[in-house]
Amino acid sequence: MYTCGIDVGSVSTKVVILGKKDNKIASYVIAPTGSDGKNAAIKALDDSLKKAGLTDNEIEATVATGYGRINIPFADQNITEISCHARGAISLFSDLKTVIDIGGQDSKVIKLKDGKPIDFLMNDKCSAGTGRFLEVMARAMEINIEQFAPIFIKTNDKVDITSTCTVFAESEIVSLIGQGVDKNKIIKGLIYSIADKITSMVGRVGLDEPVCMTGGVAKNLGVVKALEENLGIKINIPDEPQITGALGAACLAQNLY
Amino acid sequence: MGIKDKLKTGVQRNLNQKYIRRLLDIIAKKPVLYTYGSTFSSLSDKYLNIFTIESLRNAYSDNNHPVGYGSLFLPYEMFHALGITPFLPEVMAGFIAGLGLATQTLKEASSNWYSQDLCTFHRSASGAVELDVFPKPDFVITTNLACDAAQKSFYIHSVKYNIEKNFYLIDVPYEYSKESILYLTGQIKNICMNISSKSGMKLDTSKFKEVINLSNEFRKWAIKVNNLRKTLTSYPPYYNGLNFILPFHGLAGTREAVILYNQMYKELKKYLDKEEKEKSGKNKSPKRILWLHLKPYYKNEIFDVLERENCRVVFEEINYIYWPELDPERPFESLAKKMLSHFLAGSIDNRINVILKAARDYKVDGTVLFSHWGCRQSNGGARIIKDSLNKLNIPTLVLDGDCVDQNNSSQGQVKTRLQGFVEILNS
Repeated sequence: MYTCGIDVGSVSTKVVILGKKDNKIASYVIAPTGSDGKNAAIKALDDSLKKAGLTDNEIEATVATGYGRINIPFADQNITEISCHARGAISLFSDLKTVIDIGGQDSKVIKLKDGKPIDFLMNDKCSAGTGRFLEVMARAMEINIEQFAPIFIKTNDKVDITSTCTVFAESEIVSLIGQGVDKNKIIKGLIYSIADKITSMVGRVGLDEPVCMTGGVAKNLGVVKALEENLGIKINIPDEPQITGALGAACLAQNLY
Repeated sequence: MGIKDKLKTGVQRNLNQKYIRRLLDIIAKKPVLYTYGSTFSSLSDKYLNIFTIESLRNAYSDNNHPVGYGSLFLPYEMFHALGITPFLPEVMAGFIAGLGLATQTLKEASSNWYSQDLCTFHRSASGAVELDVFPKPDFVITTNLACDAAQKSFYIHSVKYNIEKNFYLIDVPYEYSKESILYLTGQIKNICMNISSKSGMKLDTSKFKEVINLSNEFRKWAIKVNNLRKTLTSYPPYYNGLNFILPFHGLAGTREAVILYNQMYKELKKYLDKEEKEKSGKNKSPKRILWLHLKPYYKNEIFDVLERENCRVVFEEINYIYWPELDPERPFESLAKKMLSHFLAGSIDNRINVILKAARDYKVDGTVLFSHWGCRQSNGGARIIKDSLNKLNIPTLVLDGDCVDQNNSSQGQVKTRLQGFVEILNS
């Protein structure tokens, strides 16, 4: 039998189906959430079942997480992203002490002790320091977001982005481009502005190693490198960081039966 | 701004003003209140609402008693002894938020250059003053105890009503010492004398004694309520300890406060007796939460979330009885000691000691510090409070939000943080 974890985030919905016996991921799906989280979850679950060659009768328990967690009618329980990301990260890297999760709409730092969350901090209500910030900036610069990491690595200098607010930062970079400032330096500055915001959150919760980073932004090696540089540590990144919350939800669903 | 836009803004302002005035008028009418009163859940709930609104009605009525605006941390016994009707703009800001009117008052404040990072209790109250929907004060009294914004915004209120000469600031020294008591006693006495001579309300010694005795009686019942709550886990659904700000402060020294706290004690005692009888051990005991600072006063889900997650707020910092019994023979000195004893006066250590004591006395599993936007006196200590509680292995959630402005926080984010915190308590 299997358990299922569904993470309905602001940008994407993630589903993980986890085998009970082998504790291995049978399948996973990452799909856009769009405007209807419930339907996105149903569709992603269907796709995930198909991928694994399973039927829904073989799913023994489902846990929903993410901002849309309360709207998933077929979930047996909803658990916050804090517990799910912590549990997912622990299933991948034992002995973890800190989890940094940067998603589309929020970012969080979770402190762990003996594999359990004991404290956390989430970003304040604006989108500074989240994936959305990077997306908006990439759009404003007309550069594919996937180009950010290679540009970060090959560029030595940066231009400081002083605005925290996403809207103001957007107008700041438009103005910098207008002044003829090298776009690569602006990108490096943008990545550091996210890393600096997260670094201060880590400082507030307290940095304990080992550290793991989860969420879609962990795929951006530029942000990871900037954070590693700021914190002076090596950060563990899962093979697919975006599904860590859903994986944690599937792990926690194992406790339900 | 064009003429049409100006006209539109003017019309909107007048509509806001009329709407709020009319609502406050309706609420303050006694017969309406008593009809509504029959639907209260209990006698203490009825007393709380009736006394709160009667105090409002008195401030609005033309009963020849002078009206005094007062900030939260004043010893209101002096108002009652002087025959001044207290009106607490900060408490009214909470009331306005509860009525869903804060958007209008905050907009008005914003149009009048009140800074966006000023605490919304003061910003909303200032908007109401600008809209001219509060009763006209004869005196404005405030203090620098704990709150920095009060002394500034209350002075502006006095300017608005052209009564700067009737503005009084009670300066509370940092240290509790003999000299501080003397200094503060002198100030309170002088202010009382000054107001008495200006208002023509005689400062009657026997009246002052009566007020002090009533204040002690209220204190006695409030302590009894607090002691009872050390073992209580289930509460009547209407009870929320964060709703007693007006009686705790503004009604100290009145018979109403005594009646209310006495009744509350009786009702909670009944609950405790019932709880002990029904003790079966079958139900999972709820997580015990200590609440620091205030709560949002507009419609919100915080306490429903806690209830659903089987958590109970077993004590609120604001209900801590911090002052010693008052001496009716030395009223001014007693009130000076009351002010100096406040845990928000002086060093942050005073507040931490109270929090740690409450955490131990009420055997709490976790603490929530509601971090109200713009409240420096409370938020400034968040880190050191959290660290101190961590030493006792008590997790603390610093929950960012706004007590008055519902547009300044997201319900979903608040819910996630609370639920995540409860998951930590349960893990």
